[in-house]
Amino acid sequence: MAGMNCVGLRAIFGLALSLAVGPVAADVVAIVSPASAITSLSKTQVVDIFLGKTSRFPDGTQAVPIDQEEGSPVRDEFYAVYAGKSAAQMKSHWAKIVFTGRGQPPKTSSSSIKVKSIVAANPRAIGYIERSAVDSSVKVLLP
Amino acid sequence: MPNPITRSKSWGNPCPLNAIIVIAMLSLRAGVCNAGEDSSTSLLSFSGFGTLGAVHSNDDKADFTANLLQPNGAGHTHSWSTGVDSRLGAQATVHLAPQLSAMLQVISEQRSDDSYQPHVEWANITYQPTPELSVRLGRIVLPTFLLSDSRKVGYANPWVRPPVEVYGLSPVFDSDGADASYKMNVGDVVNTLVGTYGKTRFGVPGGGAVKASRLRVIADTIEYGPLTLHFAYQASSYTYDAFDPLFDAFRQFGARGMALADRYDLDNKLAQLLTAGAAYDPGQWFLMGEWGRRNLHSAIGKSTAWYLSSGYRLAKFTPYLTYTATQANSIASDPGLNVSALPPYLAGTAAGLNAALDSILASTPVQNTVSVGSRWDLVKNVDLKLQYDRIDLGRGSAGVLINVQPGFHPGGTVNLLSVTIDFVW
Repeated sequence: MAGMNCVGLRAIFGLALSLAVGPVAADVVAIVSPASAITSLSKTQVVDIFLGKTSRFPDGTQAVPIDQEEGSPVRDEFYAVYAGKSAAQMKSHWAKIVFTGRGQPPKTSSSSIKVKSIVAANPRAIGYIERSAVDSSVKVLLP
Repeated sequence: MPNPITRSKSWGNPCPLNAIIVIAMLSLRAGVCNAGEDSSTSLLSFSGFGTLGAVHSNDDKADFTANLLQPNGAGHTHSWSTGVDSRLGAQATVHLAPQLSAMLQVISEQRSDDSYQPHVEWANITYQPTPELSVRLGRIVLPTFLLSDSRKVGYANPWVRPPVEVYGLSPVFDSDGADASYKMNVGDVVNTLVGTYGKTRFGVPGGGAVKASRLRVIADTIEYGPLTLHFAYQASSYTYDAFDPLFDAFRQFGARGMALADRYDLDNKLAQLLTAGAAYDPGQWFLMGEWGRRNLHSAIGKSTAWYLSSGYRLAKFTPYLTYTATQANSIASDPGLNVSALPPYLAGTAAGLNAALDSILASTPVQNTVSVGSRWDLVKNVDLKLQYDRIDLGRGSAGVLINVQPGFHPGGTVNLLSVTIDFVW
C-alpha cells in the first residue's frame, strides 16, 4: 500500500509540475527583420498570415511567412499558443487548402538559426523562434 | 452524343486535357531542375489523400449511400460496404511562374457504374495577378457548401462523411469552366467572394445522365479569427434524361398531358440551391451548422436540409455530435391525367403514368439523423474515425436510402456503424 501511494503521489506531483512548467518551457515569439516597418501584430494577425488567410501585413505590404519544420517543438508550441491548434489540426487545415488548389503551406526552414537568417535578410519575411534564440539580427513583434 | 456514363473530356471543354499535358511536361522538367534543392522551393509538388472505410446498416431491405452517384451501399447489397466512404486521391501542382500555376487531381472511388476507374476531380490553371485576385480555368469543384470542395478529403473533416441530407440536396458539385475569386481584408476580417461559370455532365446510377449547363455559383466567405460564415447561390439549366420516356408518354395525352409533362419534366429546368453556413473553431472545440434549400423546377421539386454539429478536442480524440434533418417542400402527389374522361383502353395506361409521376413526387427524402462519433489522431497524417448514425425516416419515406426491396418499412429507423481511416501524404 505504502509503495502504491508513493507512486500515485509522484504521478500527481509530476503532473502538477508539468502543468506549471509546460507553457513557460518554450516561450515563442514572432519576429521580423529590423528593416521592417512592422513593430506590433496581434495574435490573430500573426495567425492569419501563417494560416494563409491573408498575404499582407496590416499596412498592406506583402508578408512572407517562414515556418519551422513539422514535428519541431517550437512549431507545435507556436500553433498551440497562437492558433490554439495541434499539429494534426494544422495538417487538417492545410489539407483543406492544398486539395482545393487554394494555396500551399508556408515555406519551412529547419532551425531557428535558419529562420533568423532568412527573416534578417528579407523585410517582408515573418518567422517565429524561441525567445531564448532572439538576438539583434531580428526584431521581436510586440503582441 | 457522348457516352452518358463517363465524364467525357471531349464534352465541350478541352481545359482538363490541356492541364494534364502541361503537368506531365513540366513534371519532367521539374525532376531535373529540382534535384538537390530545398524542398520548400519546389516547382512541382505531389500530394495525396485517401480514406479506407467500412459501413454497416442494420436494415437489409435498402442501401445506404454517401452520395447520389453511388449505385449501391450498405444494407441490402452489402452487409458491410467498403465502397461508401473509401477513396484514393492524388494531386500534382505545378508552379509555372509566380502568378501562374496548374493543378491536377485524380480520384478513384465508387462511381455510378460501380467501377473504381480514376476520374479527374480537379484540372485547372490558376492565374493570380495579386495575392487577392485569382482566376481559374478548367475543372473546378464548386464552393456551394462550407465543405463542398474538400468533402472528399476525410482527413480535413471532423466526421466520417459530411451530412448526407445537406450534401445530397444536389448531385452537381463540379464545373468545367472558369471562376474568379477576390479576397478583401477589412481590419481583421477576411472576405472572399467567388463567382463561377461553366457546365457539367455525369452519369447517375441506372444509366441516366445529368447535364447542368449555364452552371453558376456566387459564394461569399467571411472569416474573423475562429469564426467563418459562408453563403452561396448555385443555379443551372438542369437536364436528367432517365424520365424522358415517362414524360414523352404524358405528351400523348392531349393538352392536359402536355401541360403535366412541361411542368414536371427535367429538360433544361432551372435548378437553384441556396446555402448558408457558419463554423466557430477556437481550437479546443468547434460548433458548425449549415442550411440549404433546393428548388429544381420539375418533379424533383423543393427540399430543405440543415445540420448542427459540435465536437470537443481531448488530446488526440475529438468526439462529436451531429443532428441533421431534411424535409420536402413541394407537393407529394398530383391529380395527373383525368382517367375517368378517357376511353377504357387508355385509362389503364393513364393510371400507370399518374402513379409513376406520384412516385417521383413522393421520393424527396424526409428524415432526420443523430450522429455520434469520434476522430482519433492515430499517428502523424493518419486518423481513425468511428461513427454511429440513427436515421429516423419520415412517415412513408425511404429517406436517402436506395435499392429499396419488398418488405422494407418506410418511416422506420435505420442504424449505421461506420469506421474509417483517413490519411494524407
